[in-house]
Amino acid sequence: MTQHATATPSWADQFHRFEHNGAEISPAWLRDVRKSAFGNFERLGFPTARKGNEPWKYTNVRPIAEAAFTLAEHAPDAGIDLHAYELPCPRVHQLVFVDGHYEPGLSTEPVSEAGLHSDVLGRHGDGPVVGRLADAIEYRVPLVREQLGRLAPAEGNAFTALNTAFLRDGAFVQIPDGTFVPEPIYLLFISTGAQAVVTHPRVLIAAGADSSATVLQSFHSLDGGAYLTNALTEVVTSPGANLRLCTLQIESGDAFHIATTRMEQARDSRVSSVVVDLGGQLVRRETATLLGASGADVNLCGLYYGAGERHVDNQTFVDHAAPGASSNEVYKGILDDSSHGVFSGGVLVRPDSQQTVAHQVNKNLLLSSDAEVDTQPKLEIYADDVTCTHGAAVGQLDADALFYLKSRGIGEDVARNLLVHGFVSEVLDAIEDGAVRQHVEQAVAECLSGSR
Amino acid sequence: MLEVRDLHAEVNGVEILKGVDLSVGVDETHAIMGPNGSGKSTLAYVLAGRPGYEVTAGSVTFDGDDLLALPAEERARRGLFLSFQHPVEIPGVRMDHFLRAGYNELRKNAGEEQLDPLKFDRLIRSKAKAVEMEPAMTKRAVNEGFSGGEKKRNEVLQMAVLEPRLRILDEIDSGLDVDALREVARGITDLSVPGTSTILVTHYDRVLSYLEPDHVHVLIDGRIARSGGRALAKEIEERGYDWLEAGAGV
Ligand SMILES: Nc1ncnc2c1ncn2[C@@H]1O[C@H](COP(=O)(O)OP(=O)(O)O)[C@@H](O)[C@H]1O
Ligand SMILES: [Mg+2]
Repeated sequence: MTQHATATPSWADQFHRFEHNGAEISPAWLRDVRKSAFGNFERLGFPTARKGNEPWKYTNVRPIAEAAFTLAEHAPDAGIDLHAYELPCPRVHQLVFVDGHYEPGLSTEPVSEAGLHSDVLGRHGDGPVVGRLADAIEYRVPLVREQLGRLAPAEGNAFTALNTAFLRDGAFVQIPDGTFVPEPIYLLFISTGAQAVVTHPRVLIAAGADSSATVLQSFHSLDGGAYLTNALTEVVTSPGANLRLCTLQIESGDAFHIATTRMEQARDSRVSSVVVDLGGQLVRRETATLLGASGADVNLCGLYYGAGERHVDNQTFVDHAAPGASSNEVYKGILDDSSHGVFSGGVLVRPDSQQTVAHQVNKNLLLSSDAEVDTQPKLEIYADDVTCTHGAAVGQLDADALFYLKSRGIGEDVARNLLVHGFVSEVLDAIEDGAVRQHVEQAVAECLSGSR
Repeated sequence: MLEVRDLHAEVNGVEILKGVDLSVGVDETHAIMGPNGSGKSTLAYVLAGRPGYEVTAGSVTFDGDDLLALPAEERARRGLFLSFQHPVEIPGVRMDHFLRAGYNELRKNAGEEQLDPLKFDRLIRSKAKAVEMEPAMTKRAVNEGFSGGEKKRNEVLQMAVLEPRLRILDEIDSGLDVDALREVARGITDLSVPGTSTILVTHYDRVLSYLEPDHVHVLIDGRIARSGGRALAKEIEERGYDWLEAGAGV
C-alpha cells in the first residue's frame, strides 16, 4: 500500500477520545494493540489508486477519507423491531449490534463468565460459545488474545488498522471440538443512519476440530444515511472443522461498506463462504483464506448487485500453502444503471503445494449499457502438479432464453426476473443451511424486484 | 383460425419469406415440408413473434385479430404454442418454476385463479406422467443437460400444461428414436382435444406417419411451391424436393 498524506485529524481526535472514554478499562495488551494499530493507520493513510497500488486500482476511497465519521457514543434509545431481519427457523444463536453497540435486549445469547471460562471452553459435546468479544476479553479467554489480529495484522492495511484501533467489542464465536451446531449463529449489525456514524464490527470465529456450524453475518441499514461500516472478521479452524459462513450486506444506498475477512484453514477443514452484497454506495470486500494444511478445502461464492451509482469491489485471495488442498470460487455480478463492479481473484500456489485443485469463475450480467465491470484473475502458480482453472465472463441477458420464456406467455418483466434469478441461483444454492438460504433468497428477491 | 397472407419476412436484412399464404382452420393438421434452409423455422418464428424477424409485407390473423401486432407473450396467452426445433437451455431456472409462471399468465389472461406451487406441482407431475417424462426432471434447470430427445419431450410437456389451441411443432421428431417418436406422437395426439389445430414443420415424412396431416404444403425458397394431401408427402419421400424446386424456378 502506498503512502498517503497523513490521516485527517478527526480520526486522531476520535482515537484519543475513544481511549479515554470507557475503553481505558481494557487490559493493557489490548490498549497496546490499539495504540500500535492507530499508529499504523496514521502511517499508512487511506489507500489510493496511485500507480503500482494494484489492489486499489479500481476503487477510490477518497469519499471515505474526506468525510467525517464519528463513533456512536451509545446505542439508540428507541427500540428496534427485528421482525424484518428474523431467520425463518425456530432457534438461532443471535447477537445484535446497533451502531456498533451490543444490544442485550435483542440478542439471545447472554454468555456467562462460566460459559466463557477457559477450562469450560473446548470441551467435547458443549454447545457453541456465541458472545461478546468484550466479555471474552474481560474474562481473559486465552484464545482471544492469541488470535485477535493474528490473521489480520494492522501493519499493511489502513482499514484493518482502523478497525483494530477502535476494537473494544464485537462477536466471539467458538465451536468446541466435535460439536455440531444445528441452528444458525446469527450476527446482526444494524446502522441507524441517524448521523454519519462509523462502526468497526469485529468478529472472531474459532471452529474446533471436527466441529460443524453455520454463521450468518448480516449488515443492515435501519433508515438510510451516509455512514461507514468497516468490518473485520477473522476465522480460525482446527483440523476437520466444517464452517459455513454467509455474509449478507444490505447497507443504505449512501453508505460505505468496507469488509475484510481473513481465514486460516487447518488439515481437512472445510469452509464455505457465501457473500451477498446488495447495498451500499461504495463497497470493498476482501475475502482471503490460507489453506495451511493438506485436505483443506474452501468454497468461496459471491453475489454482488449494482444499481444506481454503486461501486462494489470484491477481492479474493486463496493461498495454497500446503499440498493437496482445494479451492473453488464462483462470484457473480449483476450490474444495472451506471453501477461499477470489480472482481479480482488471487490464487497463490506455493512451490511445494502439489496436487492443488483451484477453480475460479467470475460471471457478470450487465443490465444496462452504462454499467461497467472490471474482472481479473491473478494466478500465481509455482507448483507443477496442479489443476487450476479460471474463467471470467461479461454479458447481457440471453435473448434466446428471453424469447423462449415469452413464447410460453411470460411477460418481459417476469421473464427478465426469472433469468436474473437463474443467473444467481448457483451462488445462493451454495448456502447449505435452509433457513439462511431462504432468508438470503428473500432479500435478493426483494432487492432485484426493483430492477428489470 | 390462422390466416397467413402474402407474408414476407427478413432476417438481418435478408428476405427469407417471400410471400407465404396459409390458411389453417379449427381441428386441422397442416404439414409444412421443405428442404433445409427453405424458411420453415423462419415461418414458425415469425408466427411466434421472435425478435429480429422483421415482417416487411403481408398479414397474419389469429381468430381474426392481427397476430403480428402482438408481442410473443400475448400470442402465447391467446393459445399459440411453438415447439422449438432447438429448445433453449436456461441454467439456473427450474422447469417447474418457469412453467408455473407461464401457466399462471395464461390463467390470469383467461380470468382464472392462479395455482400455488403445491397445486401446480400436482398438475405438472400428472402431465409429466402423461407424456412419459420422469417427474424429477421438472425440478431441473430448463433443458440444461437434456438430451435431444429429452428436450423434445419437454416441449410436449409444456404443451400438455399450457394446452394451446394452435400448435406449431418445428421438427418435433429430430433427436427422437422410433420408440420415443411413437410416445411423443401419442402424447401430441392425446392433447388434440376438439378445437385444436396443428402445424407440423418437418424436413422428413417420418413424423407424418404418426401424426397424419390433412394438408401438406411444400415450402421452397420462402414460398409455398405446392399444396396437397397426405399423398404429396409420400411423393416427396420417394422423389425428394428437386422436382419441386425446379418447378419453383430455383
Ligand atoms: N438468424 C439468422 N441470421 C441470418 N440468416 C438466417 C438466420 N436464421 C435463418 N437464416 C437463414 O434463413 C434461411 C432459412 O432458414 P430456416 O428458416 O432455419 O430454414 P429451415 O427451417 O427451413 O431449415 C437459411 O438460409 C438460413 O441460413
Ligand atoms: Mg428449421
